[in-house]
Amino acid sequence: MTKSMNNFVVSGKKSDFHLPKNFKITLIVLVLLLIASIAASLFFGAKAVSMQDLIDGLFYSDRDSHGANIVRKRVSRTIFALLCGTALGVAGALMQAVTRNPLADPSILGVNTGASLFVVFGIAYLNITSANQYIWFALAGAALTAIFVFGIGSLGRGGATPIKLVLAGAATTAALSSLVTAIMIPSTYAMDQFRFWQIGSVGSGTWDNIMTFIPFLLVGLGIALLTAPALNALALGDEVASSLGVHPSSLRFGAAFGGVLLCGAATALAGPIGFIGLLATHVMRLILGPDLRFVIPMSALAGAIILTISDCIGRLLGSPGELEVGIVTAFIGAPILILLAKKSKVRSL
Amino acid sequence: MKSELTNFHFIRAGMQKRRRRWLFVTAVLTISACLLCCLMLMLGNTIYPVNEVVRSLFGEQIQGVTFAVNTIRFPRMLAGVFAGFAFGVGGYIFQTMLRNPLANPNVLGITSGSSVAAVFCITVLHTSNAVVSVASVGAGLATVLVMYVLSKGKTFSIGRLILIGIGIQAMLDAFISYLLLLSAQQDISAALLWLSGSLNGVQLSELPPLMLTVLGLTPIAALYGKQLNMLELGEQTASSLGVATNKTRLVLIVWAVFLVAVATATTGPIAFISFLAGPIANRLVDIGASNIIPAGLVGANIVLIADLIGQFAFEYRFPVGVITGLIGAPYLIYLLIKMNRKGEL
Amino acid sequence: MEKSHLFRAERLAAGYEEKTILHDINVDIPSNKISVIIGSNGCGKSTLLKTLAKLIKPSQGEITLDGKAISKIPPKKLAQLLGVLPQSPIVPEGITVADLIGRGRFPHQSLFSGWSKKDYEAVAEAMEMMKVTEFADLDIDELSGGQRQRVWIAMALAQQTDILFLDEPTTFLDITYQVEILDLLTDLNKKHGTTIVMVLHDINLSARYADYVFAMKQGQLLAEGAPEEVITDALISDIFGMECVVIDDPVSHTPLVVPVGRYHSTVNLF
Repeated sequence: MTKSMNNFVVSGKKSDFHLPKNFKITLIVLVLLLIASIAASLFFGAKAVSMQDLIDGLFYSDRDSHGANIVRKRVSRTIFALLCGTALGVAGALMQAVTRNPLADPSILGVNTGASLFVVFGIAYLNITSANQYIWFALAGAALTAIFVFGIGSLGRGGATPIKLVLAGAATTAALSSLVTAIMIPSTYAMDQFRFWQIGSVGSGTWDNIMTFIPFLLVGLGIALLTAPALNALALGDEVASSLGVHPSSLRFGAAFGGVLLCGAATALAGPIGFIGLLATHVMRLILGPDLRFVIPMSALAGAIILTISDCIGRLLGSPGELEVGIVTAFIGAPILILLAKKSKVRSL
Repeated sequence: MKSELTNFHFIRAGMQKRRRRWLFVTAVLTISACLLCCLMLMLGNTIYPVNEVVRSLFGEQIQGVTFAVNTIRFPRMLAGVFAGFAFGVGGYIFQTMLRNPLANPNVLGITSGSSVAAVFCITVLHTSNAVVSVASVGAGLATVLVMYVLSKGKTFSIGRLILIGIGIQAMLDAFISYLLLLSAQQDISAALLWLSGSLNGVQLSELPPLMLTVLGLTPIAALYGKQLNMLELGEQTASSLGVATNKTRLVLIVWAVFLVAVATATTGPIAFISFLAGPIANRLVDIGASNIIPAGLVGANIVLIADLIGQFAFEYRFPVGVITGLIGAPYLIYLLIKMNRKGEL
Repeated sequence: MEKSHLFRAERLAAGYEEKTILHDINVDIPSNKISVIIGSNGCGKSTLLKTLAKLIKPSQGEITLDGKAISKIPPKKLAQLLGVLPQSPIVPEGITVADLIGRGRFPHQSLFSGWSKKDYEAVAEAMEMMKVTEFADLDIDELSGGQRQRVWIAMALAQQTDILFLDEPTTFLDITYQVEILDLLTDLNKKHGTTIVMVLHDINLSARYADYVFAMKQGQLLAEGAPEEVITDALISDIFGMECVVIDDPVSHTPLVVPVGRYHSTVNLF
């Protein structure tokens, strides 16, 4: 009996695989949206391109027109946005599952700022210059900040309640951003580099960056998919999870590692982008229910769509320059936070 | 006739001792603020002695001194004193009214609301300082109203209020970034300096709105200080002791928003003053008395000290907001740890 | 010295948001007496007390004090006549006992007046009466539950009102402290003739200390009168929905309620 329960929750064998009610229709809608967002990302921007340019740029590498070149640049940018969105969507789902907390998002937990601090420190004092180096600093910063924030947030009665985590995240963000400013102000060089990195947003989506990013993304996604069934069990509480054959602390560590890897790498390359995890995961959970085996992959899809569309909006609003995608996502995502706060019961805060 | 009560003198002595302590602390804070003001006027690239500073302030033309003191240091000092006072009082009012040290104008989104209005006025409309102040106050009040509507539920929860505040802040900050993107290059640097909270380059002509607001509205402290303390006992007790709670709360909120918004419009959001001043004042005095004035004085002291540190402690000159951020953020984390341990969150 | 007041509520209805809890209640508070409101959980006794104390706005009906509607009396003026101790008052962190009790003087102080001798006397007397003098300079956090409750009552006493409302002043306290506090309140009533109205959970202590009892059920006033008249087998069984027997309290010779329950029977009693 226990063994079969085990199988059900942990391994998710095919026979137990009940698709959520709205799964198919959601999948179809998401795929359509994905295609639409890719098309929009290629087509819209500071500079208008014609249909001909689009076709030339995509399919005829030998045709050389201004429009076609713009489209080619947008291709790498779009791919990069999709990958970052995927990473952030999954990172949000993982963090929320690990902390059993609906508000866990890299930006809210201060993880983005932690990554920023380490990068700016590296730029100012250790002369790091390339994305390959940024990524390790950002990861270290993200990981340490996540541990720190979660440590403070889970002190005291009731463990890491949403409000405690959010406050710990906000306080840490405030502390770290003061440090970032303090490091930056004396050094114009660091300020310029950092600005460039921070404002780079998904505009920094060069093929090099995409290549740097892919290994991290794959490892992170792998972890997410492998741990999803066990995280389902964790949602029932530590005791139930262990009785179902899950080892809570090592699972938590593994899944959190995956989450930090994903959001740290995305932050390192694209700069701080907030609220994607919150937005994607919550919408998906609302539609599909709590089963993480479905929520995680669909959040990946949703995250990719949201980020790509946000980037489009940013380019259109900011024309002739661009509006950082992080600003757009904050504007779309913050209302979700407010909504969640309004909806949640006082007790569970 | 009843004064033969055996405990009368004992109790009166204790209460009067605490009242004397209030006076003492207030006096010390005032004196130290004055001393810091003198330092602000004397120190700089060149150090001028007191007598030269005073003579120059009274209108005497002294080579070099007059410009540095009258045009640069004096407005800077005034801005520090008045903004610090305003932030301190505004923060104390919200913290006391909501009975939570975390509830300050920053967390409640008021500072961000005022900042949006100010940045909009600076970069898009290019309006005068008076208009910036008025717009800041309007935006601050609007933010409070939005917060109030959003956080109104069956039961009031400080947690919910804070979460909503963080959400609103994120949106408003995003909006500020958008405004910065739209604006011309020379406006951006002005706006950025302003956003980090700085006393740099404050001119005398920018100060009247702030000074008038602080000086004109401080008498409210005498009128409503006691009521604020009564509110601390909770809605029911306060109203059973004869406090018109709704009216009191309205007056206090509007007052606090005025102070914070006008100060924000003048110096930019100087981090953490509104958060730090109240708890420090409560620790220096104890909370039996109304600590509105001490909180304001603490705020002024912190801003002046932080600005002196920012100007002279390092090779590079930091804006005051960075220094207060570096001081304030660790305290915030410490407070969170303490509150979590005690299970107050 | 003793002042009589006519405190009256007529056709009172009140509640929270859309839910009406009190229906059509008429009350005359006996002056200079101790009245207790009894009833089962959720019957509206606290709501009644809060409505009478102007903490909840009635949806219907009128409350008058000496013929004047309390909604028309300025808050400070009312607070000079009527003191209220809510069920779970909020303690500001880090305040000393004397200062907290001193806040009870608020209704008597004008805008710019400092502390008069009278204010100090009121505080001193309240503290002596509630036996909290020794804690005067302590932080309120350092006190035990029973001591803290005495401090709160002392604050209401420092208010020096002729009428005092208390919402479950003995909840969460050991029986020792419950009796102690009720004794102290009786002292107050005897010494100053203070009209006391309180909600009590313990029906036997109510019977012992009350001069007058209001019995409530489902938002309505079921019976009122002296404890001996009101606390009877039939009425108590009706209020609590459970068979009870009322016997004579061997100490105070007031009614003593003994619940029966399913495992015992009244047969052996007689």
